[in-house]
Amino acid sequence: MSYEKIKFEIENKVAYVGFGYNCDKSMTVLDEKALTELRDIVEELHQKKKELDGVVFHSLKKNCFLAGADINLIASLKTENEGAHGAEQGQNIFNRIEDLPIPTVVCVDGVCLGGGMELSLSCNTIICSDNPKTQLGLPEVKLGLIPGFGGTYRMPRRVGLPTALDLILTGKGLNSRKAKRVGLVDEVYPKENLVKMAPKHFKGSKKKQGFKDTIEHLASDNFLSRKIIFQKARENVLKQTKGFYQAPLKILDVMEAGMMKGRSSYLASEAQAFGELCVGEQSKNLQHLFFLMENSKKYSGPASSGELPKLKRGAALGAGTMGGGIAWLMAESDMAPLMKDIGPEALDLGLKQSSSNFMGKVKRKRMTYEEFERKQRSITPQLDYSGFEKTDLVIEAVVENMDIKKSVFAETEKHVTESCLLTSNTSSLSVEEMSKALEKPGRFAGLHFFNPVHRMPLVEIITHSNIAPETIEALYNWCLKVKKTPVIVGDGPGFLVNRILMPYLNEAGYLLIEGVPMKELDEACLNFGMPMGPCRLLDEIGIDVAVKVAKIIHAGLGDRAESSDLSQQMVDKGFLGKKSGKGFYIYDEAGKPVGPNEEALAILGSARKKMSETDIQMRVFLPMINEASYILDDGIVKKPSDVDLGLIFGIGFPPFRGGLLRYADGEGLERIYKAIDKFASEVSANRYAPSPFLKKLVDDKKKFYDL
Amino acid sequence: MTLSLKDVYIVDGRRSPHAKAGTDLKDVAAPFLGAYLVRKILDATSIPSDEVDEVIIGNTGSPAKYPNVGRVIALEAGLHKKTSGYTVHRNCASGMEAISQAYMKIAAGRCDVIVAGGVESMSQMPLIYSKEMTDLFVNVMKARSFSDKVKALSAFRPPFLSPIIAIEQGLTDPFCGLNMGLTAELLAREFGITREEQDEYANKSHHKAVAAEAEGKFADEIVPLAYGSKLDKLLHKDVGPRGNSTVEGLAKMKPYFERKSGTVTVGNSCPITDGGSALLFCSEEAVKKYNLNPIARMVDFHFHGLEPERMGMGPLLAMDGLVKRTGVAISDCDLVEINEAFAAQLLGVQRGLRDKEIAARFDVDTVHGEIPEEKLNVNGGAIALGHPVGSTGSRLVVTLMHELKRRKADKGIASLCIGGGQGGACLIENLIK
Repeated sequence: MSYEKIKFEIENKVAYVGFGYNCDKSMTVLDEKALTELRDIVEELHQKKKELDGVVFHSLKKNCFLAGADINLIASLKTENEGAHGAEQGQNIFNRIEDLPIPTVVCVDGVCLGGGMELSLSCNTIICSDNPKTQLGLPEVKLGLIPGFGGTYRMPRRVGLPTALDLILTGKGLNSRKAKRVGLVDEVYPKENLVKMAPKHFKGSKKKQGFKDTIEHLASDNFLSRKIIFQKARENVLKQTKGFYQAPLKILDVMEAGMMKGRSSYLASEAQAFGELCVGEQSKNLQHLFFLMENSKKYSGPASSGELPKLKRGAALGAGTMGGGIAWLMAESDMAPLMKDIGPEALDLGLKQSSSNFMGKVKRKRMTYEEFERKQRSITPQLDYSGFEKTDLVIEAVVENMDIKKSVFAETEKHVTESCLLTSNTSSLSVEEMSKALEKPGRFAGLHFFNPVHRMPLVEIITHSNIAPETIEALYNWCLKVKKTPVIVGDGPGFLVNRILMPYLNEAGYLLIEGVPMKELDEACLNFGMPMGPCRLLDEIGIDVAVKVAKIIHAGLGDRAESSDLSQQMVDKGFLGKKSGKGFYIYDEAGKPVGPNEEALAILGSARKKMSETDIQMRVFLPMINEASYILDDGIVKKPSDVDLGLIFGIGFPPFRGGLLRYADGEGLERIYKAIDKFASEVSANRYAPSPFLKKLVDDKKKFYDL
Repeated sequence: MTLSLKDVYIVDGRRSPHAKAGTDLKDVAAPFLGAYLVRKILDATSIPSDEVDEVIIGNTGSPAKYPNVGRVIALEAGLHKKTSGYTVHRNCASGMEAISQAYMKIAAGRCDVIVAGGVESMSQMPLIYSKEMTDLFVNVMKARSFSDKVKALSAFRPPFLSPIIAIEQGLTDPFCGLNMGLTAELLAREFGITREEQDEYANKSHHKAVAAEAEGKFADEIVPLAYGSKLDKLLHKDVGPRGNSTVEGLAKMKPYFERKSGTVTVGNSCPITDGGSALLFCSEEAVKKYNLNPIARMVDFHFHGLEPERMGMGPLLAMDGLVKRTGVAISDCDLVEINEAFAAQLLGVQRGLRDKEIAARFDVDTVHGEIPEEKLNVNGGAIALGHPVGSTGSRLVVTLMHELKRRKADKGIASLCIGGGQGGACLIENLIK
């Protein structure tokens, strides 16, 4: 029998089952066709078991064993029953693999995730390559799912309960070295030798249990300690997800209740849970986000005609915290950056920033000290422009002042080649205006990183009227290469993210003045899923910076962006936020908030207002949706998905909500429109006047994502 | 047939700040004292990273982790992987040997672009197990059975554990058995060089170096280096020169090598030091191709041997040979840099230059004349700046070329004595006048 998606051959009494056959994508997934073929192959193996010494599963695809089940397949599931049934079908195939009376060895080279991992777990022996791309794990939880093909059943049996819980609840992947250490794989080989070595594992695949394993086994394999382990895991999950995420809790329920169950009844409960989760709103939102991210990995901006500049060597202009962060990013991606500033103190500051970013990785053993030394030393701190002629990408991060930036660019342009891209990490100044300082503006763009650079994935690529498409595309690809999420945005006050953040912060000020207690305000936003309430966020940004940006946005957008004068009063009193130790909150030396700053709250007077949590949330999130409509109307970004990506990766808008506009779509635009309109008459006509764009959507009975 | 030599240009030369061993640069391994200089020098030119023919680095410590420091520096500097790199060792003149090889390869037309220099991390020179202890380890490892192992272990004696200090052994001549300091003592005794003379000389070295630093003269040659365990600080200047040094203070120090009746102290000798230096050498073709603006031309070099126990007189013989080779008299030079290994040794060289009889003892038949103070080590020398052994030979040339340029002067000699009984010298001509 011949197959299209899986290569099946028998050689010297060994059956070889090869995935990634006739596959032109970079990643192989288990789609419907592949699953059907796999089922047939497994049945064929059962028939031929007498003539076979064993079975070897492997991949024909470079750097990918199996990246999991096809997410499109999961996304197409409509009902709980359909979901559960889908999971059962996969489980049945893997059960049949597990039940083969002949030895089964799986050779993992490259990515082995989700369904691929679950398939591997149903084999007797897992061996993997030392390829740095090799990665094993069960990331389903990140999509709001439970591994549904027996992963939660078999993983604890292979690596023990504590490790299994860690892997399944965090969804993290293990490299070959770690996978071997936790006992997930039996042996690691150079990738060229992997399949060749597989038949040697047919015999004696039962590994010897070491003393440590025995102790661990004894410690975790009794009723009481299991109970403690689950309790601890549950506490951890609640701490890390603040209870927002259903999947990890569901996983814990299934695993704990199933500890005493046999295979078939356990798997039935796993499939049931999978069915429930996969059609749930949260998982749908997370799947939505997954697709957004996948789509953002392909450039879809204006088409370039010429050759793209190659960005090999970088330079950071300005070596403060931001410049140091940018130099770090460039050093991390082997761009041996120059880091220029005008004084030696700033250079030290930049080096400190870069070093502390690297040291975080060294401490977590993500990097050796030697690698750190090489990369950190690849940064050349300097006070002049020597070497700029050799750079391909310059990112400017000097003070936020148009005249200074313009003169810096005019000067820099004299020291670089024509093909060098010049970019500004401005957070608020007009990129259009700045481009006028350059003789060749085609190679210029805004490149807005969020602070801290090493934590925040989003980068706004800001265009202007004279930009060359090659510049946009090259920057976009570069952002992806340095593992950032780029969004192409048009020039305008606050660009994308800061402009939508504006009402979040502004309304917070008004609510405080109205007498809503700060604690309730911040908590309402935390309970919505935001990583920080607006007052904490203002402290983090720096209240003086926020005032400056607010003025620019107000000037650009008019009265709907007017902020209260609360922030200005705070600045006048020297309450600048975390950096000055006092803002809305008081901070200790390590920068941890220790309590509210009563002196600041005293500015507000004694008015107190009781407002429900939902009302507070509506007051801050509705104007954000309203502003996003303006942004789409103004063409700052092209698609609603850009807004959603921007907010999730730029300010940590709760991922489980799928993004601001997906949230709006889910709530119903008509409802949202009415609520905004109501605020316009009750709170402020200026700040809450619904955008005409939003009104048109409602009139047309459309959603944002219908655009 | 005579080999016609091409002109050899020194496009640029830089050095690291020097720091006394065990201080600021103690954690910086040898390659990192040089690699960043190479990157910095090349960044300032239009030479692409794949157009460097050789990287030649002088180093004496040969760190176990980096047996071929030259190649490691080539790679750490971001040069193309095809770049050839090697390490040379001629004791104190390793850096000068490196630039001499660069000179020869370009003069002979074999290469067009070479980076040469030297690095030394004297802080990181190791302590070594004694031979007895090493043998014991070998025997224990060889032993098969448990009883054999016990037997092998039973040979252990506590003194086995006293380590060999690599740096001390390296500074002791293996042929005559004298420590370098004792060779200086010998010169002081034979030529009647007094303690006062030595201390006075040493004191001046410190003040010259401090003044040069204060006037910003080292800004052109020093490239700040990141240091500390987190590599988040920049060292901008030398750690060693003492502005508060006085002759009286130096006079209080005890002789270190000949403890009872000697005159050589730690104060009038150079301190052991960490540092590196690098220079970019180019042929005329490369200068034109990359539109370079070389600072200097290297005219020639010379190395010469003598009795190991009088190694300090090396510069006398080396400079004498260089003069004969080039026809340029020492007195025709605007500046001379002679390494200050020991004040006594440097003063000995001065005696040899002015005293026919002393010169004759070393088979030098010319009286070259003493080098006037205003030409010699004008920005201080190793007594203040330190002597990172593998680097000094090239460091002297870096310092010399920048000072010649600053003075818009013409020619200068850099020379040094070499442990083991040799001297080295080279002549450069300033091109920026």
